[in-house]
Amino acid sequence: MAIRIGIMSFAHMHAESYAEQIQSLPGAELAGVADHEPERARTMAARLGVPVFGYETLLRQADVDAVVICSENVRHRELVEMAAAAKKAVLCEKPLATTIEDGEAMLKACRENGVALYTAFPCRFHPAYVRLRQTVHAGELGALIGARSSNHGVNPDGWFTDTKLSGGGAAMDHTVHVADLLRDLSGAEPVEVYAEIGNGIRHGDFDDVAMLTISFDNGLFATLDASWSLPKTFWTWGDVTLYVTGTGGTAGLDMFAQNHQVFSDAALRPRLSNWGDNADRHLVSAFIAALSGEAPPTPLPWGAPPLATGEDGLAAARVAIAAYQSARTGEAVSVRPS
Amino acid sequence: MLRVAIIGVGTMGHVHTDAYQQMPDVDLVGVYDADPARAQAFAEARGLSTVYPSAEALIGDVDVVDVCTPTPAHAEYVLAALYAGRDVVCEKPMARSLADCARLIAAAKESGRTLMPAQVLRFFPEYSSATAVIRQGAVGNPATIRTRRGGPFPRATNDWYGDFAQSGGVTLDTIIHDFDWLRWTFGEVEYVYAKASYYNHPTPLDHLDYSLVTLKFRSGAVAQVEGTWAEPGSFSVFLEVCGDAGMIHFDSMESVPLRVNRRQQGGAVGGVAVPESPTSANGYYLELRHFIDCVQAGTTPTITPVDGYYAVEIALAALESARTGKRVAIQGPPARVIAERMPVAA
Repeated sequence: MAIRIGIMSFAHMHAESYAEQIQSLPGAELAGVADHEPERARTMAARLGVPVFGYETLLRQADVDAVVICSENVRHRELVEMAAAAKKAVLCEKPLATTIEDGEAMLKACRENGVALYTAFPCRFHPAYVRLRQTVHAGELGALIGARSSNHGVNPDGWFTDTKLSGGGAAMDHTVHVADLLRDLSGAEPVEVYAEIGNGIRHGDFDDVAMLTISFDNGLFATLDASWSLPKTFWTWGDVTLYVTGTGGTAGLDMFAQNHQVFSDAALRPRLSNWGDNADRHLVSAFIAALSGEAPPTPLPWGAPPLATGEDGLAAARVAIAAYQSARTGEAVSVRPS
Repeated sequence: MLRVAIIGVGTMGHVHTDAYQQMPDVDLVGVYDADPARAQAFAEARGLSTVYPSAEALIGDVDVVDVCTPTPAHAEYVLAALYAGRDVVCEKPMARSLADCARLIAAAKESGRTLMPAQVLRFFPEYSSATAVIRQGAVGNPATIRTRRGGPFPRATNDWYGDFAQSGGVTLDTIIHDFDWLRWTFGEVEYVYAKASYYNHPTPLDHLDYSLVTLKFRSGAVAQVEGTWAEPGSFSVFLEVCGDAGMIHFDSMESVPLRVNRRQQGGAVGGVAVPESPTSANGYYLELRHFIDCVQAGTTPTITPVDGYYAVEIALAALESARTGKRVAIQGPPARVIAERMPVAA
């Protein structure tokens, strides 16, 4: 029996990619879509060839087993709580929550309803990261000392720069991916965050400069550039890089480096055409496997990382939330799991 | 013909000798080293006429003194040379302590002689050209800067790099280059926050050192500097600057115009790939040429003792931050030691 999945909101552009994966992977089917913007719901339903619902009717009448939530960040809590009340498993777009209060409420709602909550961290499933993970977990780099990392990109605009909907700018948007990778890679928890946050790129009323230092409970420390700092003329949307130094060696991850350089006279600038794996596909595959209890439809030959849970999502969000606090106070801020 | 001599014949002594021996207006007459046998071997190998029995003898015999010793010895030799009326170029870091840096500024002022700390990055084409591109406005107002510098743990006489009290580790010895280039290019630093394996790794590391330093500039720009002596691969550098109108990116691992792969004798597999980035402009030559030109013309080098002080202060502030967990403000040299006629860097 295929897992029936619904999508709640297409506000985040990743929703369309997740929908395509659900439709093309064995073991799942896209049961329908809902959105608080009716026009967007109709457009996506027509494009995907699935029925359109309201949020409650999707949860109560579409016979779904699970939902993927891709609303604006600040709406995650409301939609997760709605899905939990309807006893539907959830894959929620990152950042899971923009406040600790929201995140804890979401975890509580899912726990009390016996519902599985997962966070959409596709980078965990990119083969380049999975191989790095295998290398580090095999002890080949020895004890981890430090890491220089980036998840910086072009400003995504739209609701991302409206902090009433996004809960924050670049630091809220881009901190969590690498924070999650560092937790998964090191097996350690972040204990302290220092951050410089500013608006020196667009000079708007949202942050686009986010330069963090994260310390972990095993002694690992890392810098992360999570800014929306790349110019419009840049090759592509951005990057995920992680240069790790350990007592036994170093490793450099440049996740989206599997590219062709494309120079087309029809375009104004050269671009990169990525031929590497689509990490979204492996993420949705892992979600399907978690729901069905069967092997993921797209196995990774180097040992698959676990799907990030709601707790993982909140742990990464805590780093972003602490970063804002650090930037306000000028001090390193301690991060404590609840 | 300027008579020049070098104190300290380690790696930098060789590099500086290479540069002076290309200069027709410089007579590199000799060397002094705390190890006389080493000095003798160096002089013979490099064709220098004189091995001085003491630093005093060297200082008394030449016009220009070039100090290439391990860091803790810099201040003593520079002071002696300045007060003897010599012009001095001193390897970075200018001194091991800020108090010594202040004494050197004061000594240069009192003696009226030239003292140039050898912050050579300003003369490396990949850095001077980046500064030029940024000053042309290509990135607009700089907002974020990331740099990397490092390679394997350096080995030298008496393993002095391995003694933190002498070298200050990768933070004081190596990424001081980036600190000076950053300050030259982006202006004064307001404060520093850092993590350093020397203080922050849970166990002592044997000949591994790694630091991540955040600099906040008065302009509002933020830099993250990675320094490593824990890289088993080759030495490499990286720099990226993003501003409100663009970005500039350089990675020495990517910008490689020549790669030579030599087949191992008798081996079926396993050559050694050696990347090369040859330029006719050698940063060390350009740096020392500038210094000699300034001495000849009686003008002030673009790198002042105050610049040398700031570079050391930023590095020591980074280590202080790593030790305390707090950010550390950059103050600059005490007003009383800054010479009136000594230009303060922009």
